[in-house]
Amino acid sequence: MRLHPMTSLAAAGSTAVITTAAASWPLSLTVIAAAAGLSVAGGVARRMLPAVAVILAPLVLSLLAMHGLFFPEGTTVLVRWGPARVTVEGLHFALERAAQLSAAVLVLLLCSFTISVPDLVAALSARGVHARFAFVLASTLTLLPAISSRLGRIRQAQEARGLVIRPGIVGRAGAFRWQAVPLVLSLVEEAGTRAAALQARGFGSAGQHTSYRAVQDSPIQRWVRLVLVLAAVAAIAARLWQPTAGAS
Amino acid sequence: MSSPSLTLPSPATARNRRLLETLGALAIAGTYIYLVLNQPADITGGPGSASALIALSGFLVGAVLLIVGVLPTLPVSTLVLIPVALVLNIVLGQFVGSTLVPFYLDAIGTVLIAVLAGPAAGAATGALSSIVWSFFNPTVLPFAAGAALIGFLAGVAARHGLFRRFYLAPVAGFLAGIIGGVVSAPVAAFVFGGTSGLATGAIVSAFRSMGDTLLAAITKQALISDPMDKAIVFTLVAVLVYALPRRTRLQFPFVRRHRVLAGTAISQPTGESTGKSAGQDA
Repeated sequence: MRLHPMTSLAAAGSTAVITTAAASWPLSLTVIAAAAGLSVAGGVARRMLPAVAVILAPLVLSLLAMHGLFFPEGTTVLVRWGPARVTVEGLHFALERAAQLSAAVLVLLLCSFTISVPDLVAALSARGVHARFAFVLASTLTLLPAISSRLGRIRQAQEARGLVIRPGIVGRAGAFRWQAVPLVLSLVEEAGTRAAALQARGFGSAGQHTSYRAVQDSPIQRWVRLVLVLAAVAAIAARLWQPTAGAS
Repeated sequence: MSSPSLTLPSPATARNRRLLETLGALAIAGTYIYLVLNQPADITGGPGSASALIALSGFLVGAVLLIVGVLPTLPVSTLVLIPVALVLNIVLGQFVGSTLVPFYLDAIGTVLIAVLAGPAAGAATGALSSIVWSFFNPTVLPFAAGAALIGFLAGVAARHGLFRRFYLAPVAGFLAGIIGGVVSAPVAAFVFGGTSGLATGAIVSAFRSMGDTLLAAITKQALISDPMDKAIVFTLVAVLVYALPRRTRLQFPFVRRHRVLAGTAISQPTGESTGKSAGQDA
């Protein structure tokens, strides 16, 4: 049986919260390993890898450079180059934060790569208030892939009209206007058409909305969701109760 | 007793929404004040996760309350623009964020909506942008409150006519950037222990090498990057808005009612009344 989208969201969210609250090396590494294993098992590892690299590489490098080289609070100095000092405390802090953030990012990305967007939208709108939020979410997720091809077409059209994109920041900024204005204009224009169509179908009315798509849910999953949310709340409460527990 | 209207919100719902907006703003302001006053000394000393959790939950709860309060009140014509704004934010922000420039340019869509549809729509768009973007990049999620603030401030600037003169737009952006940067700095410090970009990280490192605390270094970095970034964003949005055809610009009741843009003065009362009715169709 497929997981209900809210169940995977709850699982990912509470795992991210609990990992942040626990702030422990072994747990972060376990979560990273589990997320990696699940992504391979789910067959999304190949698609997820570029996204993970784009997000985590600058983050981890920036943390390592920032705290590895400059950590005024550090006392155990390993190497010293002029103003930069590599300290044990700095490296420890950087790696700990990197592991914690990587765990949260991996879990949340795994969730968004495995979740079915139409199911999520249907599940959200089944809960009443969220019809508008569901529309924004679904509309953005479907617009995004279309945008890059449209940008390419606009650039080709402008180049056919004689636009030359010169190298350097000034050349790019000059070319920006010729590409951005047609893009924004066409998007705003289309949004106007869509608004009229949606309004004609009663999207703006305050009454009850029904959904064409039904998402399967089971009592067990409902219980699992409740337990996951309670566990996340308990983790936050425990951490706030004892802010320095587990500090090394 | 008359049956409740199917199309117009009842006074009680309007009051509840106003309450939600106020609570959201209070949650964001309260979290910020707590974090700055309490300046948890444990950022670099211990696991630091208590302050990270407070920053995360306080700012996120505030942003969600704002969305829940504002989203149902927006007219459909504004609502369909939000995905467009989000796409612009994500495409430009993801591109610039991964380059070696200490800017983000991840608010063009938010500011565009704020100029065309007002502060409330801008705030909701900023918060929504972070939440939807986190489907691809979970690291932007904690900045939802800062993004909402930028949207709100851009809307306020537009309402007071700062987009009527071209040279005032970057000034407004600069000021909004100062406020937004200062509010976002604790998130970067407590949740990430730094910044998520390489170029911004280099600036933080420079301040750290002078012996600043992490929060001070990140706040100073934010004060360098954010005002410049938002000044660029506000200018780009001004360019975009003035490049839109007049017909498209005047489609928005907020633009007509508050004469947001130069040359959009409409004196005939018909424009005014259609604006009001379009604003109430939520």
